[in-house]
Amino acid sequence: MKAAPFEHHEPTSLSKAVSLLESLDDPTILAGGQSLVPMLRFRLARPDTVVDINGIDELDYLDESDGYLKIGALARHADIEESDVVTENYGSFADAAPLVADPQIRNRGTIVGSIAQADPKGDWGSVLIAHDGEVVAEGPEGERVIPVDELFLLPYDTSLDENELITEARVPTPPEREGSAYHKLKRKTGDYAMAGVAARLRFDDDGTIADAGIGMTAVDITNARAADAEAHLEGERPSAELFQKAGELAAEQSNPESDEHGDASYKERMVNVLTQRALGDAAERAGVVKRRATP
Amino acid sequence: MTDQREITLTVNGTERTIEVEPRRLLVHAIREDLDMTGTHIGCDTGNCGACTVLRDGEPIKSCMMFATQADGSEIMTVEGMEDLPAAGEDLHPLQEGFHKEHGLQCGYCTPGMLMSGKALLDENPDPDEAEIRDAISGNLCRCTGYQNIVSSIEYAAEKLDEQAAADGGVVAEDGDSDGFDCGVENCCGGPSAETPTPHVEGADPQFDDVTEGSESE
Repeated sequence: MKAAPFEHHEPTSLSKAVSLLESLDDPTILAGGQSLVPMLRFRLARPDTVVDINGIDELDYLDESDGYLKIGALARHADIEESDVVTENYGSFADAAPLVADPQIRNRGTIVGSIAQADPKGDWGSVLIAHDGEVVAEGPEGERVIPVDELFLLPYDTSLDENELITEARVPTPPEREGSAYHKLKRKTGDYAMAGVAARLRFDDDGTIADAGIGMTAVDITNARAADAEAHLEGERPSAELFQKAGELAAEQSNPESDEHGDASYKERMVNVLTQRALGDAAERAGVVKRRATP
Repeated sequence: MTDQREITLTVNGTERTIEVEPRRLLVHAIREDLDMTGTHIGCDTGNCGACTVLRDGEPIKSCMMFATQADGSEIMTVEGMEDLPAAGEDLHPLQEGFHKEHGLQCGYCTPGMLMSGKALLDENPDPDEAEIRDAISGNLCRCTGYQNIVSSIEYAAEKLDEQAAADGGVVAEDGDSDGFDCGVENCCGGPSAETPTPHVEGADPQFDDVTEGSESE
């Protein structure tokens, strides 16, 4: 099926894009297009105007600077997979990237586009939550920074104004003694998550947990924070029992729906399991615990 | 609203200029405007990978991208396989592999599988089974159960390796390298390598033995 006709713009600079967004009525922004193109084709989306930002080279970056990992609006999933900086320091990102869809999709789809799409089954929103990340938005009123907790409102709905564009997603560079991980359960390669959990742990010098971040995928109406589990972890020393309790709290806070992949109670149980696994990996990567060898 | 855009694609080495509506998908431009129907449309939803082509060397699903977005890029489709140097006078080793190893039954997924296989072997000439399965994870096949497709790509990797050894796998003339030249450009002292570098992928220790006492300076 063909997309309905639309007015088409291809700005080549951010300033041109912003002035276009200001002048157009309810424009739709096209980045990687791996969700939007099929939506257009099936006419689930019928925008009058599409602004293709792929020609804006200044948005194509992935770098670590000013204390952040900065992900430009045109950085593709594959860029994360191939990044040495990410592999070394950002375990949850390195875990999540190869679990997004399939190789062809990862060559086109963008991290920022996935976040802006605000699909509760998207992986990156959870990773951003675990890292207390934020997005930078540009619009007619200028630039503003939106913390991830204020971004997702409903499925496919964010707090962005209709003339705003996310130019960057960023998370703080992890200090010493911090680690993170992402675990995802899916039926087969390429599928969306049935459930997914991103976890990040930062430790004090004495080995207690100074800060915890847990984001959950596909088990609520948006990517969701497991705040009760985070609070339970902070100030404690890592142990299997502690992570078990955190898993239970995360499961309690999740709100999955039954569907063809499993009923809600099963998914809650999976949130529990995935949380424990992600916390275990995060603690290990922070360098504070070593796993017992599997018997 | 129905304005046409002129775009230029270099398809299998030939520059083609066409006029398309902004809503035209790349796969439709390839099949209908350029009359190259080797690239298939399977599911129309981005799942099956039958429409996979290489865009500037990277595999993408051509049903998930507008033709205007490919303006100025190099596209490779299955039609270009037999013109590659590795194909010699007949089939490319990947195509030959799918033939010899029964990598297809109905053949519908094959163009996409070949493109994903090509992208893999360009990056990683000696993939293991897991790497092959990962590379074709965006391509669905409902006939073979994948095992024969994996075998086909393994066949091609071996054949390409043999070709490289036969073409350029000779003792390098400068004595700076370890004396072996795998024939791949910019690798272990191949023809265009300005600075000899260690052979990186799939180096077979037997060659080191052969070349150690060799006649290289």
